[in-house]
Amino acid sequence: MTSLGSSSSSSTEYTVRVPKNTSKKYNIMAFNAGDRVSCSTWTQARMERDMSARRIYGEEETTEGAAGSEFGRKQREEARRKKFGIVTREFKVEDQPWILKVNGKAGKKFRGLKKGGVTENASYYIFTQCPDGAFEAFPVHGWYNFTPLAKHRTLTAEEAEEEWGRRNKVVNHFSIMLQRRLREQERGDDEEDETEKSGKRKKKGGGSKGGELRIHDLEDDLEMSSDDSDSSMGEDGESKTKVKKDTGKGKAKKKKRKSNENEALEDSDDGDYEGLEVDYMSDESSSDEEPEKGKPAKGEDLPKGIDEASESEEESEEEKQNDEETKEEEEEEEGKKTPVQMEKKKKKESSGESDSSDDSDIEGETASALFMKRTPPKRGGGRGSAGSSRTGSRPGTPSIDSASTSNTLRAAASKLEQGKRQTQGPATDSPAAKRLKMEPSSQSPVPSGKSTPQPPSGKSTPSSSDVQLTEEAVRRYLIRKPMTTKDLLKKFQTKRTGLSSEQTVNVLAQILKRLNPERKNVNDKMHFYLTE
Amino acid sequence: MSDKTEVNLTGVKQSKGVWLVKVPKYLSQQWDKATEKGEVGKITIGKKQGKTEVRFSLNAELSALGAVGEKDGSLQVPRDHPFTMHTVGGQTMAVFSQNDTDEISLEGMVVHRAECRPVVNDNYMKLKKLQIKESTKPQRLSQRLERAVTVFKPVANHDFNMEYEKKKKTEGKMVRAERQLVLDMLFSAFEKHQYYNIKDLVDITRQPVTYLKDIMREIGTYNSKGAHKSTWELKPEYRHYQSAEEEEEMEAA
Repeated sequence: MTSLGSSSSSSTEYTVRVPKNTSKKYNIMAFNAGDRVSCSTWTQARMERDMSARRIYGEEETTEGAAGSEFGRKQREEARRKKFGIVTREFKVEDQPWILKVNGKAGKKFRGLKKGGVTENASYYIFTQCPDGAFEAFPVHGWYNFTPLAKHRTLTAEEAEEEWGRRNKVVNHFSIMLQRRLREQERGDDEEDETEKSGKRKKKGGGSKGGELRIHDLEDDLEMSSDDSDSSMGEDGESKTKVKKDTGKGKAKKKKRKSNENEALEDSDDGDYEGLEVDYMSDESSSDEEPEKGKPAKGEDLPKGIDEASESEEESEEEKQNDEETKEEEEEEEGKKTPVQMEKKKKKESSGESDSSDDSDIEGETASALFMKRTPPKRGGGRGSAGSSRTGSRPGTPSIDSASTSNTLRAAASKLEQGKRQTQGPATDSPAAKRLKMEPSSQSPVPSGKSTPQPPSGKSTPSSSDVQLTEEAVRRYLIRKPMTTKDLLKKFQTKRTGLSSEQTVNVLAQILKRLNPERKNVNDKMHFYLTE
Repeated sequence: MSDKTEVNLTGVKQSKGVWLVKVPKYLSQQWDKATEKGEVGKITIGKKQGKTEVRFSLNAELSALGAVGEKDGSLQVPRDHPFTMHTVGGQTMAVFSQNDTDEISLEGMVVHRAECRPVVNDNYMKLKKLQIKESTKPQRLSQRLERAVTVFKPVANHDFNMEYEKKKKTEGKMVRAERQLVLDMLFSAFEKHQYYNIKDLVDITRQPVTYLKDIMREIGTYNSKGAHKSTWELKPEYRHYQSAEEEEEMEAA
């Protein structure tokens, strides 16, 4: 180091060295002045590359080898990409951002993004003064701008947009994040929470009153203005406790509401009904309708009864009706869960009735017709008769079975059968019980569902005594047309086969197992069929 | 995720202040030509009328624009460079360095920013002119040719064709091997991948297409639709692929 002595200016000279052999690469770590970062306060720091972008650049990995892979897939994919001129940028580790963690876990976190174009037109050098007074200049390899990462929770883009839409209404901003936290805790439906949010917000707007349901925002504003002024005085702690109180109460209410909603949901839950063999339930419900409808129903029934007799031959109509009925039944099924219990009881009643009607078979055909209509209304099997009690539109012939049997010979016999069937089949709680039992147990064995005990009158055999639950019979049915287990059960009614409902179910299950029919989904119901 | 590198904070602890200097490209180029020792010039820090003045003067031997040793280069890089100093205002800057071994250490804090400016004189202007001329030249150039260049000449038989025929002759026609052999080959191939193109199979087995198709029809199915468009795969009864997850589980077990 030479020092030149000049009169007017005192200057010192230093040599500048640019070391050639440095293995070190120098980079700039730039912070924003507003962040007030003081590196001298750092006791410990860790830094690593942020590799989260790697999976974006990484190609989707199709299973290598064995299942699902194709020979030469990669080459073909590459050729395709070249053909279309898709240029995928490589994932360069060098260009990835840095993650800097200062002072351990409780300290600050920074993310450093590389600044482009630094070394293009001008070179930056770092001049450090060595102990011997000379300057050493190192070229800057890269420039990273470090920004602090927020430790507090933030809203996602969608949530932020939502809140933006509500900015005129929301006065209590604490609630926004609290809601979010609660939501995460409970992991309920987002929609549920958000609908509750509005109500809750109002509650929270109550502030010190702690959760009273507010009706209009004006009150909120009045309340909140006072609250705001309080908090603005700088008593953040207080407001926070207030909010906590609110959340506490709000939570309770929320949970209450939730449970209510849950109940509501469960009430309207469709899936519960499907396995419940709502046919029988529907029978009960139809018996529910009995007291309600009373005379008008009977009035309908009488002409319907006559209609039934006359229209039993009209299979096509019946089939249509059956379809309609199934839909109707399903609709009705959906609506009722609580009535189920009632229905069960009423089934007992109606079963009693039907039994009595069975005795008086011939004479009570019309009477049985009445019962038939009421009982099978909600049979999933889509009985024509079932529909009759509900809608006058259908000439409610309980001719599902006859529908399935295309034999005209049996038409006449089918009438008789139907009469008997209807009295026997539908409105018995044993079928209902059967159905319920079937439900849990029959998941696999009886696939296409509800085996309503029906006389195996697939071919509408004239005499009821001949109806047997045999593999042959089931086979015949399934070859003819796809059927649900409900339908099948209807065919083999307990009274006809002489088996109890439980037995029918079991036997039918076994038969189906043996037959191993093919399945298809029609109208959301599993149907079985055989092709031979 | 790589391990976090502990940052060596010794530089910052000592509060080493560094200067960040912006240097023109030509100057840094000259500096690259420096000798092993690395001396490139001198810095003069003085106080003139109360203001701190920093000047950098380039070493004489480095001022020649051209290879080192050529003293009478056409142009000379200016030697005198005053620095303009700024304070670090809106940014807090630190310097960290990365080793070959990926060790990170914090070298120091930037206390001053400086720009290295040359003294503007004729020499410098000429230099700049040259630079601009170089940069405005287009990277690609259209050039008019005197004589047309013919690439596609009429040929009795194209090279490519001749190669193909030779290849065909040497390899010969594909002979039908024993059915069992072919089956074995196919099964081992399908162990590696599930879906194959018929062409690929022909390649692998070296069997005539018709024969191969025959065999494939026996043991496999053809996918005409779906994700794996026109590929062959084994019939379900012949295969028992495990999903990738199961394989992983098996490996882990």
